[in-house]
Amino acid sequence: MSDDIVNIEVDGEPVEARKGQMVMEVTDKIGAYIPRFCYHEKLSIAANCRMCLVEIEKAPKPMPACATPVGEGMKVFTRSAKAIAAQKATMEFLLINHPLDCPICDQGGECELQDLAMGYGRDVSRYNDRKRVVKDKDIGPLVSTDMTRCIHCTRCVRFGEEITGMPQLGTTERGEDMKIGTYVENSIDHELSANIIDLCPVGALNNKPYRYSARAWEMTQHATISPHDCVGSNLYAHVLRGTVKRVVPRDNESINETWISDRDRFSYQAIYSRERLQAPRVKESGEWRELDWDEALSKAADALNHANGERIGMLASPSVTVEEAHLLVQLAKHLGTNNIDHRITRRDFSDQDNDPTFPWLGVDIADLERQNAIFVVGSNLRREAPILAHRVRKSALAGAQVSFANSQEHDYFFKIANSLSGVGLVEMLAGVALAAVGKSVPDQIAGLLSDIEPSKAQNAIAESLKDADDALVLIGNVAGRHAAFSAVRVLSAVIADATGARIGYLSEGSNTAGAHLAGLLPHRGQGGKSRSGEALNASTMLDEKLDAVVLVNVEPDADIRSTEDAVAKLAKQAFVVALTPFVSEALLAAADLLLPIGTFAETSGTYINAAGTWQSFAGIANPVGESRPAWKVLRVIGNLVEAPEFDYVTSEDVRDEIAAAVGDVNPDNAYAGNRKIAKPNGADVSPDDIDTPLYSVDGMVRRAEALQLTAEACRVTTGDRS
Amino acid sequence: MNRATSYLKTFALWELLKGLSITSRNFFRKSVTIEYPEEKTPQSHRFRGLHALRRYPNGEERCIACKLCEAVCPALAITIESDVGDDGTRRTTRYDIDLFKCIYCGFCEEACPVDAIVETRIHEYHMEAPGENIMTKDKLLAVGDKYDAMISADKAADAPYK
Repeated sequence: MSDDIVNIEVDGEPVEARKGQMVMEVTDKIGAYIPRFCYHEKLSIAANCRMCLVEIEKAPKPMPACATPVGEGMKVFTRSAKAIAAQKATMEFLLINHPLDCPICDQGGECELQDLAMGYGRDVSRYNDRKRVVKDKDIGPLVSTDMTRCIHCTRCVRFGEEITGMPQLGTTERGEDMKIGTYVENSIDHELSANIIDLCPVGALNNKPYRYSARAWEMTQHATISPHDCVGSNLYAHVLRGTVKRVVPRDNESINETWISDRDRFSYQAIYSRERLQAPRVKESGEWRELDWDEALSKAADALNHANGERIGMLASPSVTVEEAHLLVQLAKHLGTNNIDHRITRRDFSDQDNDPTFPWLGVDIADLERQNAIFVVGSNLRREAPILAHRVRKSALAGAQVSFANSQEHDYFFKIANSLSGVGLVEMLAGVALAAVGKSVPDQIAGLLSDIEPSKAQNAIAESLKDADDALVLIGNVAGRHAAFSAVRVLSAVIADATGARIGYLSEGSNTAGAHLAGLLPHRGQGGKSRSGEALNASTMLDEKLDAVVLVNVEPDADIRSTEDAVAKLAKQAFVVALTPFVSEALLAAADLLLPIGTFAETSGTYINAAGTWQSFAGIANPVGESRPAWKVLRVIGNLVEAPEFDYVTSEDVRDEIAAAVGDVNPDNAYAGNRKIAKPNGADVSPDDIDTPLYSVDGMVRRAEALQLTAEACRVTTGDRS
Repeated sequence: MNRATSYLKTFALWELLKGLSITSRNFFRKSVTIEYPEEKTPQSHRFRGLHALRRYPNGEERCIACKLCEAVCPALAITIESDVGDDGTRRTTRYDIDLFKCIYCGFCEEACPVDAIVETRIHEYHMEAPGENIMTKDKLLAVGDKYDAMISADKAADAPYK
């Protein structure tokens, strides 16, 4: 170990460093700041901005700190006259071509070049010649460009090559003529691509929807959590006078590192969509009219009070907060119904008793990149959870064998070990399972595995899982929505058992785990305790004739996949109350009473991500129109129907109650069922809509204008699903 | 000075005459009172009165919505909202100055990188209804248009000192 340690001296202070570390990493650790533009912790070292020049004893010239490895006895001077002179000279060269349009530049006030120019720039320019001008490029609806401002740090280029694996930006020509561009006219299409906005140290790449609408210094920064996928990416929302102006990542090494998906970054636009429901509305003899909250709430309470308990149904989105889920469960308990569900995209409920307490990722998010083999079953991984796809890519680049079994093949920008596609998911898995178990076929699936011969790829997948120390079978959302999900899961469990791999689930929405733990399920209560009695699930509920149906943040046409024709079925129900942030044709057709609720930005709450991490957030924006946080609406409805102990004052009260009720849950995905699974035959063919497109996952994303203008979203509207 | 001189001065009304001499001296001097509003005192070209937003000679608004004036305003009298303009440039969609909050310090004028917001020499204005204290963008531009000659002359006069 001691061989790995070298002793160096920084500005006279003795410091221990690891062999192979760069000077910049050591100085950053001890807090001796060296100015830099091209260096970024998460990217490779380019050393092309030359801003980090420092003096090193015995070196004839100043050396770039980001690209100089430490050596025994090295003496580094970061603030010596020679170092400062070199840094000032670099700054002068950078400013030769950089325009002085800071007052109109969106980066003004948070610009690395502007900040460093304060410390290292001259007050008067010595340069009198013409400045370079570069034509702006149109690289899509998310990122605006002002290429004249570019200082050629190439962070965006390295991001494309190293992080997304989809190198869309590059440099052409050299020296004075060097330009960053897309080679041919093209948009930047990766689902993480907008991170180049944060990476760009100057105002060359900026946030297009946010363009010119606010200044960095006038906004307040509020921490929040992404509501769009099971990762729970940490975000900062920048708010001006109660209005969310933009969203940026909040560093969290154990979840999203320093990246967020474009979906998380731009979905805030939907908060101010024209389709927001501004005030409660009621349908009276076929006509909609607006009404005030008091009247609306008493109408809702009346409908629930007059309904027969067993004839009440409640459907919630998997992205409701833990608090909303808990209140809904308590309300259902008081009304005497177990007909509550959040699994509105699931089709196969036959084996639901063997579901885990909550669908767990199987490993911590950060450990995903340390797996040796990953077998992704039924998932369009990059679209379902872009941040997790990035982690999986990292593990693949580190040498892991990553294989896929899905109805369609997708691009992943790393070497895929084996890819199965084209036929039914069950059939694909059956081959892998047979290859994994060899001759000792478990009874449970004997019927499934008859007359199957594993292909070369299927054998290879089983082999890769067996050989790996850390192997993971990751069941995705496509599998979760599959009509033969129970067979898919049993086969995955058999594969995992036989190969010593773990099982992980990617779950729907942002809070499937929280909804499970709160007991927003027909067959299970808080913390996974089973419920007694018959109950209707998301698939059977709407086929019944119910007295009252409550929808929370559900759009029947776009969100419900568990049953066909949900809109028509809802329209036939006696009374449908929809708590929704948005109004749509489908909701107007299906519901009888619309109550406007806030989006994630306007309510406080808690999401539990797929790894089981509880993350609470506060409301950060002023509510739009008459909308109210959903937990408050549910609480008042609870009071009106005289539910006991419904006197919550804050959402923290609700959270603490459910947290205490759930206690410590040990996540466990092990499959304990022994139901015999037969061949699913017809159910194995997945329908077209089983894979939700990237920018259609929830109401907010569907209404974010910028996202809907992307090439990815346009492919969906034109029917090209490749 | 002895007591005798003082006694004599008392009878000669010396102190009174001394005082009257000042009165009579000023009585024949030229008057310094200004008959406002018919007459006005001279003003510095740096006088800080009513605000105006200026335009370039081609009619284009100078203001680029950089919000430096809003940031520097010690009285928080300025409120700006901005967006992408019709020509793709950075433009204000709202530019309000609350004249009740304004302390006429002139920092906005100093902060402005394009000489868009200026404080003119106009100091004779009043409000009759609530809300008239808010100078909107249109009102500010109208002031700028009306007094363009005066503002330009003042700016030119001050230029050597900048």
